[in-house]
Amino acid sequence: MTTLMTRLRRYMDEHRFTLLDLPIWLVGMAVAFAWFAPFVWMVSTSLKYPEDVMTAQIEWLPSRITFDNYVKVFEYPVVRWAFNSLIQAGVATSLSVLFGAMAGYGLARMRFPGRDGLFALFLASLMIPTEVSIIPMLLGFIKMGWASSYQALILPSIGNVFAVYIFRQFFLGFPAEIEEAARVDGAGPFRLFFLIALPLARAPAIAAAVILFTLNWNNFLWPLLVTFDESMKTLPVGIAAFTPVVGTRTQLEGFSVAMAAVTILSVPSLALFFLLQRYFIQGISQGSIKS
Amino acid sequence: MTDMAVPAPETAVAPPPGRRHERPRVDRVGYLFVAFFSVPFFLFNILPVLFGVYVAFTRWSIVGSPRWVGTENFTRAFADPWVTVAFQNALIYGVLIVPGVTVLGLAFALFVSRGYPLSGLARTLFFAPNVVSATVIGLVWVWLLDTQFGLVNHYLGVVGVSAVPWLTSTDWSLVGVSIASVWWDLGLAFVLFLAALQDIPADLTEAALVDGAGRWQRLFFIVLPQLRPVISMVVTLQLISTFRIFSQVYVMTNGGPAGSSSSPIYYIYTMAIVRNLFGYASAIALLLFIVILVITLLQRFLLKERA
Repeated sequence: MTTLMTRLRRYMDEHRFTLLDLPIWLVGMAVAFAWFAPFVWMVSTSLKYPEDVMTAQIEWLPSRITFDNYVKVFEYPVVRWAFNSLIQAGVATSLSVLFGAMAGYGLARMRFPGRDGLFALFLASLMIPTEVSIIPMLLGFIKMGWASSYQALILPSIGNVFAVYIFRQFFLGFPAEIEEAARVDGAGPFRLFFLIALPLARAPAIAAAVILFTLNWNNFLWPLLVTFDESMKTLPVGIAAFTPVVGTRTQLEGFSVAMAAVTILSVPSLALFFLLQRYFIQGISQGSIKS
Repeated sequence: MTDMAVPAPETAVAPPPGRRHERPRVDRVGYLFVAFFSVPFFLFNILPVLFGVYVAFTRWSIVGSPRWVGTENFTRAFADPWVTVAFQNALIYGVLIVPGVTVLGLAFALFVSRGYPLSGLARTLFFAPNVVSATVIGLVWVWLLDTQFGLVNHYLGVVGVSAVPWLTSTDWSLVGVSIASVWWDLGLAFVLFLAALQDIPADLTEAALVDGAGRWQRLFFIVLPQLRPVISMVVTLQLISTFRIFSQVYVMTNGGPAGSSSSPIYYIYTMAIVRNLFGYASAIALLLFIVILVITLLQRFLLKERA
């Protein structure tokens, strides 16, 4: 008992944890858990029988569980939507990370007229809200006959300034000796980039990839506008139809099926975040300060 | 984060001290490196904006060709009561969401930055809602804010508050959507505050501690003044993103009831998709762009004035 007390005392001293901190800590942690609680409620509801959902009693842990709601979700073309989302987010993210890395490298390590002006233009474009360009872009895609197509889902999100910025920052601090050595060995600029620079840029590449993948996976307005066929919808747009104001199924059956659907939808991004949150948080704070 | 304060070197290799015949190196291949990004950037980020300015002065639907109508779309927008409602709502959303995100984000960041036990877990929990889709946010909160069986009204009932029709009445729909938005948007502000708190020089707080400053004194006289630039940035970013509010509105209320939770982008969406008025929708988008530009420039100006 005494050893426990001394260890506790030492721990508190090391962390400057006084008795005054205890209520702050307790309240803070309670708020943190409460902040996450909607997700728990979402999963909990998704496992309940419909008749157990719309009740006055609050059951955080369902007394009896069922997976029927998940089965019902799959009566909709969710597999197709998930596939579309994967193609859209996967291709758009890969291309914007690759192009962003190349542009960031060029802007940081090469000298050519107009370089700094170009970078200033990229940064200034961040002030333009995407919504300004979305209606004319939609018009353009429709006129080209590209509505409800993969190119329509993918192309507009390729030119991502955030990726350029994060790679430029990284390559500015890149040791010049490595490049010099490679140049002496006779490596051209492309070999230098793909075989030496890019493999060393793992940290910004992962940060850009996870952040952009989440962004693309969650993208809502553009896929909503540009997909007219049910079969070309992305997962967020398709599942949005479970809302009681847009569809009517939820009104008839309660929220259990809708919660199963959004549980499926939130798993990829939450899992990615839990696994790689260091990259998320560093990348986001790094990328936003400048813009 | 760490190298933000230090100006980054603009060129990797310093130009050799100029002799006349030694011209500075020009890497023409640099254009190629930048081109892979620049081509989609100009095609899909810049061109549509310019095209949109043109479309705003036309009458254009999906079928048929555009007809130049001059400023007709703009005069119409200024006379349209629903445009007024949409922009007013954007302002109300701003008043509800921006302080919520800023104050809570700062409070959470202050808590996590203390380095208490489990603060890593707290950080994860606070940031998590930020990574999920608007569809998840919207549907989860429609359920939580359900008038009859929702969790929020249930717990409010426990403390004696009668059921609030969060999303089904014209008086409350803006509040209901705002609650969900604060939950969703907070993560970005939280992370930015957290980063800024780590950048406060340790000797500053140490010195205050030695001088016997209490925790509230340290907060108000040391921490908050140090955070002023980042607070200003968070307020601006959040105000801009709130003026662009759409997905939550679409999923949670569809702009209703009776248009009470509509927003500029929501109205643009209705005009383009439902009414097929692309020229008119572009004109309203242009107005929104101007509002956002004014906010941005105002913040830059105010920040310069203070500095």
